[in-house]
Amino acid sequence: MPDDGADEEQDKVLIASVNDVRYLIALLRGVGFANRAVMSVAENGLSVAVEESRTLLATAYIFKGLFNEFNYHPELPQDAGDHDEQEQEVPNISFEIQLQTLIECMNIFGTAGGSAIPSGNKYRRWHQDANSDNENDRGEGASNRSNNRSNKTPANGRIDQYFGHEKGTGMRLTYAGSGFPLTLLIAEDSNGPTATCEITTFEADPMLSLDFLEYPTVMKIILKSSWLRDALSEIDQSCEKLTIICNPPPPAGRSAKIVAPPRLRLQAVGNFGSVEMDYPSDKEVLESCECDEQVSFSYRFSHISRTQRALQSSTKTSLRINEEGLLSLQLLMPTPRTRESGSSDGFIEFRCLPLDEEI
Amino acid sequence: MRFRADIGNANTFFKIWQAIEKQQKRCIIRFSENEMRIICNNDVNEGGIQVWSQIKARSLFTEYRVESNANNEITMTISTEALLSALRSASTPAGQTGSFAADADVVMRLIKKNGQAVLSFGISGTTRNGRQVRIAHDVRIDVMRPNDVQRLKEPMCPEPEVHIVLPPLAKLRTVVERLKPLAGDVVAIRANGSGCLQLSAQTDSARVDVSWKGLANPAMTRDANSQDPDAGDDSDMHDSSQMYGVLVSLKSLQKFLSSHVVSTTTIACMCVTQDL
Repeated sequence: MPDDGADEEQDKVLIASVNDVRYLIALLRGVGFANRAVMSVAENGLSVAVEESRTLLATAYIFKGLFNEFNYHPELPQDAGDHDEQEQEVPNISFEIQLQTLIECMNIFGTAGGSAIPSGNKYRRWHQDANSDNENDRGEGASNRSNNRSNKTPANGRIDQYFGHEKGTGMRLTYAGSGFPLTLLIAEDSNGPTATCEITTFEADPMLSLDFLEYPTVMKIILKSSWLRDALSEIDQSCEKLTIICNPPPPAGRSAKIVAPPRLRLQAVGNFGSVEMDYPSDKEVLESCECDEQVSFSYRFSHISRTQRALQSSTKTSLRINEEGLLSLQLLMPTPRTRESGSSDGFIEFRCLPLDEEI
Repeated sequence: MRFRADIGNANTFFKIWQAIEKQQKRCIIRFSENEMRIICNNDVNEGGIQVWSQIKARSLFTEYRVESNANNEITMTISTEALLSALRSASTPAGQTGSFAADADVVMRLIKKNGQAVLSFGISGTTRNGRQVRIAHDVRIDVMRPNDVQRLKEPMCPEPEVHIVLPPLAKLRTVVERLKPLAGDVVAIRANGSGCLQLSAQTDSARVDVSWKGLANPAMTRDANSQDPDAGDDSDMHDSSQMYGVLVSLKSLQKFLSSHVVSTTTIACMCVTQDL
């Protein structure tokens, strides 16, 4: 812990600490396709936004509840530290950081998971294994977790965190305000090494603003992330265009069901051919699907494929398209452990503008 | 010129060469009456790393004999890669069952073959099914002329400000590997006399300090080769919390750390004007 006195801590705009950085890293990596990221701090948590080609906007939402400690004292830039004025309006602050640097810093001890000290050459392999283990756990535990959470008393989840029932790299993040670096204090365990990272922050450029609710939603699907992930990974990277087609539910009657067009179809066209993938109208596959008339919009596949990293660690995906074709993909990222009730899992949202030409 | 040695601990010998091989493709070995010295002093990798090691012949060899006109010393240059692959047949990789039932006997001899000096390795062992196996490797060497040998001078090192036992090199290596994208070409290493070691990197986008605490500061006996004979016992003179730091090339540091296979304890000496 830093030697900062209590007074000094009061001046910090943001103090957040977490005893295991793995989950944070997973969220950040999900949007880690570009280096320039805008981090916004609000009272209820952090968000990290990344954009590409003014078309794709990816935002990771990290809620307050995911941190062991989260103190946000917004300050007006002209008079720092004056509490009365701040309370009138609680402004969000945002700054730009190099996302890759942030991720590298958090992972400085190479402890994305596990407690064993990797030895030499085996390191890489071990690292990946650890990751995939986590993902499996998450996938399997997803359904149990929701049950567990409701049973746990609020105190239970919280006190466990302090006794290190799972070993991880702890982190404390502080930000002293505009112009100051983002300071990370990272420690593997109490007697191990500690790392202090100061990440330069920049003034944030305005990000692309894509308001999904501006136009009415015409399609809304919730499905397991793995269904979407598997489909996207099948599509060759050389494909340029991905079309999402969604059909309204077939009229009642057995025969109609068979001939009816599939509820959801992904269609990709590339230099070497085209791929079409249909999702059956089955509760197992599409948890919910709302769509009143046929919807068909095309997106640049290179943009859509940016979601793959995030899809890998998420459990559920909400896929929405509005009247203008703006795609909103919300990926639920389950926390690796149960939390006190009231905190929600983090999620990553991708918004992508459609290609102009119509099919 | 005669040389013959029975390598008692083939595994250790192999590990030493594994570490050396990472540093340089060619190195100098000097066998003298009581010691083996391994010297890498080429100016590759910006002259960043030199290896000057002395190993007591007794600790590695069971039988050891060296005779020559030059003060019973033989100095040769050898390809580390070739030497390593010769030794590979003799060593048992840790954790694996080796090809031999017991430790193989390795005999190292200097001979002349077809007018060319070679270091000949005779490896004999017993396989799992009890058969006798003999393997011979000849590694070409160049014996150095006494004139060239005399020109070999160990670099002068001033008396270090602080000695510190590094954390496990494998662990240090992970951190240094992670620092790579966060640092330019150089990292700073600092240490003080009260067990604190710091590794710092800085670029425009970030500044990172990784620090270890509670490391040991070994009490070193004064090195007889030091050029600073007049300096008294410095432990009283220095404030133990004073950090001494040097900048080292990240590439060289990584190369050095790749020798982690051989080491259990590593001591770094901070000389404000010199490197590790």
